[in-house]
Amino acid sequence: MSIDIRGLYKRFGHFTALDHIDLHIPAGQLVALLGPSGCGKTTLLRIIAGLETADQGSILFDGEETSSRHVRDRRVGFVFQHYALFQHMTVFENIAFGLRVRPRARRPSETQIRAKVHELLALIQLEWLAERYPSQLSGGQRQRIALARALAVEPQVLLLDEPFGALDTKVRKELRRWLRRLHDEIHVTSVFVTHDQEEALEVSDQIVVMNHGRIEQIGTPEAVYDTPATPFVYQFLGNINLFHGRAHSGWVRLGDLRVQAPEYQDAQHAPAMAYVRPHDIDLLREPEDNDSTLAATVTRISILGSLVRLELKQTSDGEIAEVEMTRERFAADPLQTGDLVFVKPRHLHVFLEGTESAASVPMHWHGDGGGI
Amino acid sequence: MTGPTRSRQRPAASEPPLIRGLLIGIALVFLTLFLFVPLIAVFYEALRKGLGVYLAAITDPYALSAIRLTLLSTACAVPLNMLFGVAAAWAITKFEFRGKSLLITLIDLPFAVSPVIAGLIYVLLFGAHGWLGPTLIQQDIKIIFAVPGIVLATVFVTVPFIARELIPLMQAQGTEEEEAALVLGASGWTTFWRITLPNIKWGLLYGVVLCTARAMGEFGAVSVVSGHIRGLTNTLPLHIEILYNEYQYAAAFACASLLTLLALAILGIKTFIERYTFSQRRPPTGGDTL
Repeated sequence: MSIDIRGLYKRFGHFTALDHIDLHIPAGQLVALLGPSGCGKTTLLRIIAGLETADQGSILFDGEETSSRHVRDRRVGFVFQHYALFQHMTVFENIAFGLRVRPRARRPSETQIRAKVHELLALIQLEWLAERYPSQLSGGQRQRIALARALAVEPQVLLLDEPFGALDTKVRKELRRWLRRLHDEIHVTSVFVTHDQEEALEVSDQIVVMNHGRIEQIGTPEAVYDTPATPFVYQFLGNINLFHGRAHSGWVRLGDLRVQAPEYQDAQHAPAMAYVRPHDIDLLREPEDNDSTLAATVTRISILGSLVRLELKQTSDGEIAEVEMTRERFAADPLQTGDLVFVKPRHLHVFLEGTESAASVPMHWHGDGGGI
Repeated sequence: MTGPTRSRQRPAASEPPLIRGLLIGIALVFLTLFLFVPLIAVFYEALRKGLGVYLAAITDPYALSAIRLTLLSTACAVPLNMLFGVAAAWAITKFEFRGKSLLITLIDLPFAVSPVIAGLIYVLLFGAHGWLGPTLIQQDIKIIFAVPGIVLATVFVTVPFIARELIPLMQAQGTEEEEAALVLGASGWTTFWRITLPNIKWGLLYGVVLCTARAMGEFGAVSVVSGHIRGLTNTLPLHIEILYNEYQYAAAFACASLLTLLALAILGIKTFIERYTFSQRRPPTGGDTL
């Protein structure tokens, strides 16, 4: 079932948590609400669930207004960051709870409840834990039980609030892959909140990037990573190098580097920022002519598993830049601390400083040797 | 190499043996002098004139009536405060409303006010010359120098015990489990009985135990409103005082030993609850592994 959010506005005292949010979540998709803490993503999720009420705006499930519907009648499944399992009930009773509290007329028989719970336990592959108590389980197991409990009431929408936030890295990775596979099986419209960009990129169909109570960008993981709409999205998703410079008549100058930016044809000496991902940089031993490289010194080399990260200090202004390359590539021409190199971005985005509208039109530039 | 040497070294965070021994010694001497010796003295004095005198003292009709009244006022005060304590703690911890801090302050009032003053307030309110006294006399309702006054004073003095016990507990538990229940379709009533109450039951029981102990032992407030009418408005602590003032030491100590036994029983229950809740305490939610 699809979710439509229209003009949602919410304040807590003087703090604006949600600033007129409009969002459409198509049926059957797994959508990530991604943003730093305090950006309003959890508030949005809780308002969709009905655990919080908005000051303005409406939420429609399949085109039907839900604001007036009580949380228990919304048929949503909610998974909490800290699981919120019922401590005094066994795993079985936790999962059965949603079925047992139904009004007598709609309550399934004991045999049906038993069958349903065992079906869900099989789905989460934890059948052997039915008689345990939550305190006897690991974090990963608890979160899977919490998910089964949410699914027991056959929700129309599944909402997950930082579902893997309290788990350690390894379990988190396992569990999010498992969630993705599960979603591919059951196809219930799902929204999950996360501040972990890697998690959002790996699991979701669509990412909604939020900041200061507003939506910065909506798109597929590929789209938000490759063509960020705003500097914020660029910074939030993945590591970046930032170069300051000026845009003038369709060109942007960043120190010694000069790149073409036809979008900024009308700009006259406008302050500009260029973003480059660490893996989108080539390092050359010799400078290229026609202003397509920046001189820098290698100040630090760290080996991170399959990657090598180099820290560079730009010769012109002393700014630090970060470059990542594969071990193989590094081995082909090993650099050493103190070496002089020439930085050649393969891929960069230019935003004009301070102008939100211009920033939403990113320039896309592919360096092709001496083309500039 | 390091094994044996380390085992002879004391752990970095502990004190030298001398200081440790001194501290433990001071604590033990203090406890023996101020708690253990009086405790033994109560039973020694109670039984000094023989078991016969002891039994006579506690089966005396006035003593029995005092025991009955003490149990009655406790039986009234504890359920009332249980109801109020749960309601207040529930309201304070699960909802936001105006006047919340005022409510918290009011709950603490009986702790802050001297029990004697609490008793006097009731005398001023309901006494023959008090604000409501004349009206009550017209209706033939007796509160002061009667059983209702004693119950009221006991309720007042014991108000904070259960609420104070539950508020931090419910604050620590947060509202997530209740929210989970609501999302799963449970009504507020069902959520209270099936989620909230089981989660607070040991804290509630602990509060009830403390409240009971206080209700039975209350002297000051009850003394003011009771009027000390033997066989009618004397509670056990008041009865003990009267016996003592009449130089009936053996009888006074016999009744005192009854109260002491009740206190010890309550202490035993409290220890059991503490041990049980400790073993039941939930592990920390964050940072655990698969």
